[in-house]
Amino acid sequence: MKKYLLMSLVAMAPAIAAAAELEEVPGFDGETITLGIISPLSGPVAVLGLPVTAGHEVWFERINEQGGIAGKYKVKLLTEDNANQEALTVQQYNKLKNQVVSFSQVFGTHTTKAILPQLRTDKMVVAPASFDSYWVHDPNLLPVGATYQIMAVNAFAHWLDTEADDDPVICGLVRDDPYGEAGMDGIKFVAEKRGLEIAAEVTLSQSDQDFTGQIEQLKSAGCEMVFVTTVPPQLARIVGNSARAGFEPRWIAQWPSWHGALLDSPVVDYLEKNVWLAGEGTEWGNQANSPGMAELEADIAAHKPDQAPNVWFVLGYNQARAVTAMIEKAVAHGDLSREGVMNALATMDNVDFGGLIGDYHYGAIEKRNPPRKSTVFGVDREKPFGLKSLKENFASPEAAEYSY
Amino acid sequence: MSSAETAAVTARRMPSLSMPVLLAVCYVALPFVLGNSFWLQVSVYAGIAAIGAIGLNLLTGNTGQVSLGHPFFLGAGAYAAGVFGQDWGLPFWIWLPGAGLVGFGLGALVGPFALRLRGNYLVMVTFALVFIGLHIFSNWSAVTGGAAGRGISVPVAIGPIDFADLFGATRDQCYFWLVWGIVGISAWLVFNIINSRPGRALMAIRDRELTAEFVGIDVSHMKIAAFAISSAVAAVAGALYGAYVQYVSPVEWNLLLGIQYIAMIIVGGIGSVAGGVIGAVVITFLPHLMREVAGSLPFVAVNQSDGGLITVFALNQILFGVLIVFFLVVAPGGLARAVSAAAGRLSAPRRHK
Amino acid sequence: MIDFTKLIFAGLSLGSVYALIALGFVMVYKATGILNFAQGGLLMLGAYLAQYFINGLGTTFWIALPMAMLATGLVAAGLQRTIFDKLLTHPAFTVIMATWAVLIVLEQVPITLFGYDFLNMNDPFGLAMVSIASVQVFTIDLWTLAFAAGSVAVLAVFFFRTRMGLAMRATASDPEAAIAQGIEPRLVHATAWFVAGMLACLAGVMLGGGSRLVSPELSHVALRAIPAVILGGLSSPLGAVVGGILIGIAEVLTAAWAPTLAPWLGKNLHLVMPYFLLVGFLMFRPQGLFGQRQSGRV
Repeated sequence: MKKYLLMSLVAMAPAIAAAAELEEVPGFDGETITLGIISPLSGPVAVLGLPVTAGHEVWFERINEQGGIAGKYKVKLLTEDNANQEALTVQQYNKLKNQVVSFSQVFGTHTTKAILPQLRTDKMVVAPASFDSYWVHDPNLLPVGATYQIMAVNAFAHWLDTEADDDPVICGLVRDDPYGEAGMDGIKFVAEKRGLEIAAEVTLSQSDQDFTGQIEQLKSAGCEMVFVTTVPPQLARIVGNSARAGFEPRWIAQWPSWHGALLDSPVVDYLEKNVWLAGEGTEWGNQANSPGMAELEADIAAHKPDQAPNVWFVLGYNQARAVTAMIEKAVAHGDLSREGVMNALATMDNVDFGGLIGDYHYGAIEKRNPPRKSTVFGVDREKPFGLKSLKENFASPEAAEYSY
Repeated sequence: MSSAETAAVTARRMPSLSMPVLLAVCYVALPFVLGNSFWLQVSVYAGIAAIGAIGLNLLTGNTGQVSLGHPFFLGAGAYAAGVFGQDWGLPFWIWLPGAGLVGFGLGALVGPFALRLRGNYLVMVTFALVFIGLHIFSNWSAVTGGAAGRGISVPVAIGPIDFADLFGATRDQCYFWLVWGIVGISAWLVFNIINSRPGRALMAIRDRELTAEFVGIDVSHMKIAAFAISSAVAAVAGALYGAYVQYVSPVEWNLLLGIQYIAMIIVGGIGSVAGGVIGAVVITFLPHLMREVAGSLPFVAVNQSDGGLITVFALNQILFGVLIVFFLVVAPGGLARAVSAAAGRLSAPRRHK
Repeated sequence: MIDFTKLIFAGLSLGSVYALIALGFVMVYKATGILNFAQGGLLMLGAYLAQYFINGLGTTFWIALPMAMLATGLVAAGLQRTIFDKLLTHPAFTVIMATWAVLIVLEQVPITLFGYDFLNMNDPFGLAMVSIASVQVFTIDLWTLAFAAGSVAVLAVFFFRTRMGLAMRATASDPEAAIAQGIEPRLVHATAWFVAGMLACLAGVMLGGGSRLVSPELSHVALRAIPAVILGGLSSPLGAVVGGILIGIAEVLTAAWAPTLAPWLGKNLHLVMPYFLLVGFLMFRPQGLFGQRQSGRV
């Protein structure tokens, strides 16, 4: 009997091995899965790219410590700098593409657009570190988180439901690029649903230094709410000049406009009083509302204790979690080839981010549904990274209706 | 110039006959040697940059008109390729020369402005051109897609010969042959312009403008012509870039790009056709080569959070700056002169045998 | 319609920063004939150094400012001694490209030392403001304007009353005659660069202070001041200040009015407006408002 069992085990061994052993493909040598990262590690946007990349590193260190993806395949990251430039992104993509299974992060909107034609021909999957709605139904992209549109929709709806009067004057101060337009689309969507007009929409550019011209336009339009898409040094100047002009509308700022350094700036009083952030997730360190936060803090303590609270770190960490789910699916299908990964992306299940951000309903590309929930933050210098949630992980009726 | 003199000039510029043969072998063989690798793609970029640098060298090196405005013409060429080749569906042999023609026209339009200025002031007006170009590219959405940029999907086939799919070769290999073929044609064209009567007139303008005028050279026309031809070549480079990358947005055509092109001709050799090509290759390859060796340098980090004294990016930028200063101050002839001096020394004994 | 007075005040405050930057350009150009694109790099370095003296070493602003100015001035003078001194006889093209190269290198220094994070200057001005003609004005903007005006006054005294200033003017107008007079041109040039470095630092500190942050983009602002230099005249300190303020006002007025008056001219017209003015002046009055007519026009 014992012998019989042994014999049958011996007979079964090759079958088990065949199922367990994945075919080697570019980026996978039978033991280690290599993933690519293209992020601005230099230049003005490095202040965002560096923490996003750190988020990926910490997540995968944790995965490796647990034995790797599917318990046995360690992950190796190959990181290249794109300085947020398109030409460089294309070159770095080409440099990495034959050494990786997929890309865990490509940072930026225009940079991702620049490699899209090649992603199509190469059948490569990329997780873009940006919140554009273009990505939602793209078969080569693995987005995470709510889109800029949804974050703007929820924040604006929250304002209309709480602070706004019956006839609110709504305005926008947006960057003249896809990032600026994306959030403003959300504002316009809500305005149309509720029969409101946009009183003024003013543009700014990334090289603007003084915003008095724009602010005076907004002020003379009598704006009660201004939706603003910009970057932190400009936000400091915009609110500073608004303070001088005695202009105190409700500012709703798009997520990337925020940085903790603003807390040390003299505009902090004005920020606390007048500025909301259209973001997602929960406060840094709020373990009660988010089990994911406890994990995240434990991972930071274990792998990168000097990491300061930073929402960009959380983005990278979440992206890495989604990528891990996708690769696990590919491993389960027994195919880590590019077609295999694309197939895994198109068939993967919902991913639960532990409340760090809303769950993403992946699966069939055309039915993919990003989180409708997002969070409105106020500024509070006592909080880590300066953000206090005003209304957390909620979806307004308009957000549920918004279609991509 | 008698044919003997022409031959002498050619011999001086091309140190030995083995050079063209070597280049031809490289042209055919490199795409196979490099395979479908990253370095093949960098070589395609280097080729596109070489075309642009050849154009700039005609203007700056041979005519003495310093222009930071090259990105404007590169961008115009890329968008022209998008409009002609994609929006209007015209074939390769129309959209590429068409882009060149657009560049020629814009160069002829801007030329007269630049004509009135020289030295610091000429640099200023071409500097302003870059910003004015960025404004136009960001706002003319119908053509450029606005700030979001536009895709460029254009055919690269002449009749039955498709340069994107030659005898089963990969797209990158085909582009290598296409782009470097055009490098050859541009080099040949510009070389002939330089060594013709108008070409010598251009150099006379560079060296002594008043004397040039005195001996009957129509300085204004010559300068505008140089501007137009240089811009046409730049636009062709831009069109090829757009076709190869398949997506462009306005932020790419910035001042730094103009400085990179100037750096290419400084490093390669001002006023030399080969210099433009060499400089383009060096400036395009350098950052990637640095990235390769950075791992073995103890004090260099890829990523700022990795520690280390300095990042690869910072080191690359510093090296870029140092190279410019070095070739300006210490070796003003650029690499082309250094190479030809070395080659001349090697081949000289043989020739005098 | 938007209150015109307010826009003029805003233009003045933006323009006063441009004026300070433009003064640095003029200083080097007047003494050496070099259009120094590295000015932006010096500005960025100065701002980061001042920030470090305040936040890192804990000195007060009014001690950190002269310390940073001195350090930046010495760096500038060092650049002149090691690089630009060797380029005196080279054509304008060579020298301009060398300044670009120096700019590219300088931009990496503060980033390597202090990283990419946004930093706070922690200056005493903050959001403090005063009311002038019923318009609220930031104290820091008044200081900037005062520094610009003060610098012009000091430079006027320097050029017309001191031996070094006279030597500088003599060297600029006729180098050989100046040498014959026993003037040491190297010392003169190094001094000009030193002063330009101090002015760059001052501009950088004012630009990174108040409600602004110190960030790597600071060096780009200097490029926006170049139209001011052309407007005022490359060799006139007074022209630099007037040009800077005119450019500042033009930018603010365009930002406020163009979107309603001329939307067909495109979004963000105010950013390109200074460059249109630059081209216009180069075409019709290349010597600028205050420059002498001996420019590079044929």
